[in-house]
Amino acid sequence: MAVKLGFKNVYRDPYGYPEWQGRGLPIDSAPAGLAQTSEEPKTPGPLSGWAMIWTLLGIFAGGMALNLTPCVYPLIPITVSYFGGQATKEGEGRGTLVVHGLCYMLGLALTNSLLGVVASLTGGLMGGMLQNPIVLMIVAAVLVFFSTSLFGLWEMRLPSGLTQAAVKSYTGYFGSVFMGLTLGVVAAPCIGPFVLGLLTWVAGMGSPWLGFVIFFTLSLGLGLPLFLLAMFSGQLKKLPRSGGWMIWVRMLMGWILVGMAAHFIRPLLPGHGGTILVALVALAAGLHLGWIDKSQANFRAFPWVKGGAGIACLVLAAFLLTSWALQGAGVSWRPYTEETMKEARNLKKPVIIDFYATWCTPCVELDEVTFHDPLVVKQAESDFIMVKVDVTKAGNPLNERLLQEYGIKGVPTIVFLDTDGKERRDLRLVDYLPPDQFLGRMAGIKKNEK
Amino acid sequence: MQSKKTAFIALMAVVLTVGALWLTNRAVTPKQAAWDDVLAEAKAGGYRIITTEELSARYRKDSGGLLLVDTRQEWEYRTGHIRGAALFPMEPTAWSRWRKAPALETFLGPDKNRTIVFY
Repeated sequence: MAVKLGFKNVYRDPYGYPEWQGRGLPIDSAPAGLAQTSEEPKTPGPLSGWAMIWTLLGIFAGGMALNLTPCVYPLIPITVSYFGGQATKEGEGRGTLVVHGLCYMLGLALTNSLLGVVASLTGGLMGGMLQNPIVLMIVAAVLVFFSTSLFGLWEMRLPSGLTQAAVKSYTGYFGSVFMGLTLGVVAAPCIGPFVLGLLTWVAGMGSPWLGFVIFFTLSLGLGLPLFLLAMFSGQLKKLPRSGGWMIWVRMLMGWILVGMAAHFIRPLLPGHGGTILVALVALAAGLHLGWIDKSQANFRAFPWVKGGAGIACLVLAAFLLTSWALQGAGVSWRPYTEETMKEARNLKKPVIIDFYATWCTPCVELDEVTFHDPLVVKQAESDFIMVKVDVTKAGNPLNERLLQEYGIKGVPTIVFLDTDGKERRDLRLVDYLPPDQFLGRMAGIKKNEK
Repeated sequence: MQSKKTAFIALMAVVLTVGALWLTNRAVTPKQAAWDDVLAEAKAGGYRIITTEELSARYRKDSGGLLLVDTRQEWEYRTGHIRGAALFPMEPTAWSRWRKAPALETFLGPDKNRTIVFY
């Protein structure tokens, strides 16, 4: 590769390090970095870095898409002409229009963000309950329930008094703020299920700040198209007319909720069940949105949008299934028995004990990524005895004794025993660790044996 | 007609995804490389092979003029590497080779005539 970059004197030593070391030539090692994530893991929030940015972009797009649902879309011309009316009434130009648009978005953001913060605060009270399988099930069930509304199986209705109050128009800047405030009420039958689904999700994360940011982004997405249309009122005529395609958009939102539900119960399913479930949901969504649904539209791009969405879902499903299929065999685990431990001592092999529970996300991640890494598997087969202890259900006397003996405070905990059966406390692991760093620990315990 | 066309495109897209994943994640080098494989690979890549013996002779004579690059993973490097070698982890997949090329160029520096030994 270096040759392609223009370097001329390039060599490769195919025997490399093992031979070099075997001849006793000068070497260096840097065992530092092992102790980094030993005890007391730092837990980054549920969303950080790129994941956060992508989530927010997705939510922004979701907010924009909500404009295309049958409850909001017909309102667009009314809202825009309302802005226009306000502006001309005061006899002023574009400047006032901008302010009205901003007021409208502010109102929208106010209700939504408040909802988000409240939801996440109540979620915060529940604390670590999201690790609880029952809570996960309930959240997923709620999401699926709301998605059925978006599929058109039932209609969400609000008391008519509330709707009446909401459609009443007020004048002035306050009027615009008020219209924004109440958009959520008027459009509840379509937006409601999605917003409530999102609220459940935010509540699960239990961070008021995240709740605020997510719902603020949603409002921006919801308000921006209206704002832009208000700016360029002349473009209004070019919008496609309302029609069956809006039902399709609603179904799309429904599938998004189902996808979120599948993502939630992923850790509950044994083995790769979770990944397969998500892939199946993507497959079903793709077929439904792309081909089975027969919604028509009176503009020409719609079949392409439909096909595109269907293809995107199918590609996602194919991606998940292929990555799953390409993943090689995992580490072969043994249950904890006295014989296994004795065997390890006889063979002079170090032991790695993985305390896990089926509902814990980092445990599943460890199993899916680290313990399926080809190098980790190879090392484990040749030089280690791998033992797994399932502590999902309490009350097993053997497990209780082990938890006591090793002082396990939570899952995941991975204990490294040297060939004498003594624990190396400095290597103990209580969080997810990527394969390369895990290999470092494996090498760490092996080196001390030599 | 329309739905047939999109179905065809969808099929193509799915096949493409599966193919791309397989291609990029498949190991480019054979698992247990025989000496002939190594030579063939070197010829294809345009670089020369150096034995450990030769390398150690050069290393003793002039270790400063030699750039040793450790292409193994970080944990391997950490547990032991040739003194003075620099780490540049490379996975043996086409994806990794393509993605890391620009980083490698800056890593190796501007001197194109420098003697570089990968291991």
